[in-house]
Amino acid sequence: MRAGSFGKGVGVAAVLLFTLFPVWLMISTALNGRANAGSRTFLPEEWTLANFAFVFGEGGFGRYLLNSLIVAMGTVLAGALLALLAAVAVARFRFRFRTSVLVMILIIQMVPIEALVIPLFIQAKSLQLLNTLIGLVVVYLAFSLPFAIWTMRGFVAAVPVELEEAAYLDGASWGRMFRSVLLPLVAPGLVATSVFSFITAWNEFIFALTFMSQETNYTAAVGLRGFFGQHATDWGAVMAASTIITVPVMIFFVIAQRRLTSGLVAGAVKG
Amino acid sequence: MTTVANRSKAGRAGDAPPARPTRRRTRPGTGTSRPWLLLLPALVVMAGLLLWPMVQVVLLSLQNFGLRELVTGRTRWIGLDNYTALLSDPNLWQIVLPNTVVFAIVAVLATVVVGTLVALLLNRLGTVSRGLVTTAILVAWALPAVTGTYVWVFLFTPGDGIAVQALDAIGLLDATTANPFADRVSFYVIALLNVVHHGFPFVALTVLAGLMTIPNELNEAAVIDGAGAWRRFWSLTFPTLRPVFAVVTVLSTIWDFKVFTQIYLMPGGDGVNRSVLNLGTWSYVESFAQNKYGLGAAIAVLLTVVLLVITMGYLRLLFKEDEL
Repeated sequence: MRAGSFGKGVGVAAVLLFTLFPVWLMISTALNGRANAGSRTFLPEEWTLANFAFVFGEGGFGRYLLNSLIVAMGTVLAGALLALLAAVAVARFRFRFRTSVLVMILIIQMVPIEALVIPLFIQAKSLQLLNTLIGLVVVYLAFSLPFAIWTMRGFVAAVPVELEEAAYLDGASWGRMFRSVLLPLVAPGLVATSVFSFITAWNEFIFALTFMSQETNYTAAVGLRGFFGQHATDWGAVMAASTIITVPVMIFFVIAQRRLTSGLVAGAVKG
Repeated sequence: MTTVANRSKAGRAGDAPPARPTRRRTRPGTGTSRPWLLLLPALVVMAGLLLWPMVQVVLLSLQNFGLRELVTGRTRWIGLDNYTALLSDPNLWQIVLPNTVVFAIVAVLATVVVGTLVALLLNRLGTVSRGLVTTAILVAWALPAVTGTYVWVFLFTPGDGIAVQALDAIGLLDATTANPFADRVSFYVIALLNVVHHGFPFVALTVLAGLMTIPNELNEAAVIDGAGAWRRFWSLTFPTLRPVFAVVTVLSTIWDFKVFTQIYLMPGGDGVNRSVLNLGTWSYVESFAQNKYGLGAAIAVLLTVVLLVITMGYLRLLFKEDEL
C-alpha cells in the first residue's frame, strides 16, 4: 500500500511539472530583468516589471490588446444571441428537417477552418473587409456558432417544459415567456458558452494573420510576432506580452470549464 | 412530477411524425415558421461563411488563381491541372505527407496514452489532490497555441535555450552548433511536446468522466480474482470505455492532422525550411507566400477530404452512442 501512495505522489508531481512548467517559465521570464541579456533561469535573476512596461510603452501592445478585445466582445455578443435563438429552435420545437439541421451543424463543426482561409481571404478582399475588425468578427462568429449551438441546446433542454407551460397558462405570449422564463434560466449556460467564444476569438491566429496587413489592426496574437527580431529576439518582451494574453484566458477557462461540464451533464439527462 | 416531465420529454425526443394533433397547433410556440425564424440568422452566417467557402475552395482548386486574378477578379479554369501538379510533386510524397501522417499518428498515440494515464491517476486520487491536478490540467489546456508555442521555442532556442543547455550537459548535443529546428525529426519532436501538452487535457478529462461511470464493485471483483492493474485495464476498463476511447482518438486525429499554428510559428515553420512543411502550412505558404491560390486550394481540398473520412468515422461512433 505504501508503494501505491508513493507511486501516486510521483505521478501527481510529474503531471504538475509537465502541465505547469511552460506557464511557469513564461511568467518567470516575463518578470526577469535580465531575460534579454541571455538570462535563462527558472527564477528571475532580477525581479522587475520593466518588460511589461516596455510591451505597453514602446511595444504598442495596448493597441493590439484593444483590437483583440473589440473583436472578441463583438464575437461573443453576436454569437450569444444567434446561438441562443438557434438552440431554442432545435431544443424546443419539433419541425421537419430538425434532425438534418442538427447533423449539418455537427458536420460543419468538423470543417477544418484552416482550409477556408483562402476563399474567405478572397471574399473579404472583394467585400473590402480586409484590415477591418468587423471582418474578423464575422469570421469568428461563424466558427464559434456550431459549438455554441450544440452546447446551448443542452442548457435549453435542461429547463423543464412545465415552467414554460405555466407561463403560457398565466397568459404570457411566447416572447414574454422567452424573456421572463427561459432567458434567466439559461443565463449561466450563456455565460459559459460566451467564454468559449471569447477564447476562440482571442486566441485565433491564422485569420488574424492573413486579414490584417496594417500594424494598427493587429490583434494581440499577431502583434506578438513584432518582438521577434531579425537576429535577436527580445524574450523578456515576448514572454511579458504572452503572459498578458494568457492569464485572463486561463482564469476564464478554469471557471467556464466547471460550469460547462455541469451544464452539459444537466442537458444530457434524458428521462 | 418526474414521470410527467419524463413523458413530455420522451414525446419530444423521438422522431415525431410531421402530422401533429391539432390541439397543439393552438398553443403558443408551436407554429411551423417560428423555429425557422429562430434558426435563420445562425444558418445564414454558417452557410455564408462555412458552407459557401467550402464550395469555393473546390472551385478555386480548378483555377489558375494568382496575383493577377486576385486583383482583376477574372477566372481562368484549368480543370484538374492543380491536382496533377500536386500529386506529381515529389515534395508531397517525400516531405509533406510523411510529416503530416507520421506526426499525426505519433501525436495521437502519445496524446491518448498520456491522457489515459493521467485519467487513471486522477481516478485514484483524493478530493483535494484531484482538484489540484484538474486545475493544473485546465491551465495547460487554456494555454493558447500561440503563446504555448513561443515557450517551447524559447526552451529549444539554439545556443542558450534551457533545454538545449540541458541536453548539452548530458552530452546529447553540442549547444554551440546544434539547431534543433533545422532538422526535420527534432523539429517535429518539439512540436510533439507542444501538441501533446496542449491536447492531453481533453483526453484526460473525457476518459476520467468515463472511468467514473464504471462501478467500483467490478474493479474490486477483478482484484479479488487476482487480476493485476494491467490485466484489469485491458479486460475491464478498456472494453467498457471503448466508445469513449474511439471518440477521443478520432477527435485528436482530426486536430493533429490539421495542426497549423504550432508548426507555422516555430522557426522555419513558415515555409523558410521546406523540409518541415505539413499539409496545412504547405497550403498556406503556396497561397499567401507564392500567390498560387489555386494550388493552395487543391492542397486544402486534399486535407479536407482526409479529415472528412475521419469525421465520418466519428459520426458513426457518435450516432451509435446517442440519439439526437
